[in-house]
Amino acid sequence: MTTTDGTAAATPARGRNRWNATDLGLIAVFAALVAASALIAAIPVGGLGVPITLQTLAVMLTGLALGPARAFAAVGLYVLLGLAGLPIFSGGRSGLGVLAGPSAGYIIGFVFAATAVGWLTVVVLRRTAGRPGRFRAVLLFASAMVSSIIFVHGLGILGMMVNAKLDFSKAFLADVVFYPGDVIKNALAVTIALALHKAFPDLLIRRIRTAATPGPVSAAPVAGAEADSRP
Amino acid sequence: MSGHGFLFANYVPGNSLLHRAPLWLKFLLVLGCGMASFLIVDWVVAAAALVLMCALFLLSGAGFRRLFRAVRPVLPVLAAIGLFQWWQLGGPTAARIVLNVLVCIVAASILTATTPVQRLLDGVASLAQPFRRFGSDPERFALTIAIMLRSIPFIAGAYSDVRDSARARGLERNPRALILPVFITTVAFARQTGDALAARGLGEAGDDHAG
Repeated sequence: MTTTDGTAAATPARGRNRWNATDLGLIAVFAALVAASALIAAIPVGGLGVPITLQTLAVMLTGLALGPARAFAAVGLYVLLGLAGLPIFSGGRSGLGVLAGPSAGYIIGFVFAATAVGWLTVVVLRRTAGRPGRFRAVLLFASAMVSSIIFVHGLGILGMMVNAKLDFSKAFLADVVFYPGDVIKNALAVTIALALHKAFPDLLIRRIRTAATPGPVSAAPVAGAEADSRP
Repeated sequence: MSGHGFLFANYVPGNSLLHRAPLWLKFLLVLGCGMASFLIVDWVVAAAALVLMCALFLLSGAGFRRLFRAVRPVLPVLAAIGLFQWWQLGGPTAARIVLNVLVCIVAASILTATTPVQRLLDGVASLAQPFRRFGSDPERFALTIAIMLRSIPFIAGAYSDVRDSARARGLERNPRALILPVFITTVAFARQTGDALAARGLGEAGDDHAG
């Protein structure tokens, strides 16, 4: 409960000093993207009949694309509005009742996972500024995996322990089934995030550049273009 | 999925006592049920609370079918948990766990069934009000919420458009071809929205003259 209040407070409070209209647009539209991804079964799995929703992919991608502060605001807004009663959680669920259900931990975990992966993304992009390519992709994938294991799975297990009164080993076993899908989705999220940063070079990179060193802006895009032309 | 229609699915128009009750009171009800679910240790008390909540729900005139629709999404997983805990911890404890979750879900659906979406969102936006002195801006917050709501149908439409075009190219098995164009469209849409806001002088950080 306190988490959602904190989100509500932080969303506008952080925005006042730094965020312009474009940032507001990105926050709002990425929150909508997470909502739409949760509602739409994008890839129907053949034999199992269980549709894979792209929600976790959209959550991790929000962090990978927007960086920590805006990702926190976007995913926090999504969770807040879902808890307020909009039917935007997966399966069309909504309302504060979700917090009593066994998936509560996952939903709270999304906010922290997106923030954590956003923070790690900024670190990785800064450190690998000179040499983008496969090394950067691997590091970003590792960041996404670490964030989702600690926050999505960690809080997810905690949620099942609190709400369904499972003990740790049982909750862990119930959680393990999500790992294969998560590995695939995180890998996909990283390739998409790299494509997004290539398509919109100022989405996050320029923000880092101006924040770190107001030096020549041309270095990173040129390096990116070289990596692009390589097979 | 066109328009905002799906967002209003939970609200049942009416003029009952619950419809007229203030939002904070209904929120306190949900909060109280959430607290109670940790305190109730007897399954009989939990069952009584569930009956009370169901009675309140029906008092709003929403009907049995709405009540069932509110709990239906969690029924399979609750059944699984109930059976598992019955085996692990015995009947009364399993019943208490499942009933407590149901109490919270029914209480939360009382709130959403008797409050129009617009008032819920106003309630969320007003959460920022007490933090005004720390630099929060309820109007910018409300604006962001409005943009998000408007964007959901657009992105849902982008998903189906991209799926159609991937199918036309025989790529409906390729997840990258199914997903990447949606995200590119999304970012482009977000930036157009930001430009449109900036052109109208909306959403900029400096336009808060309250302080």
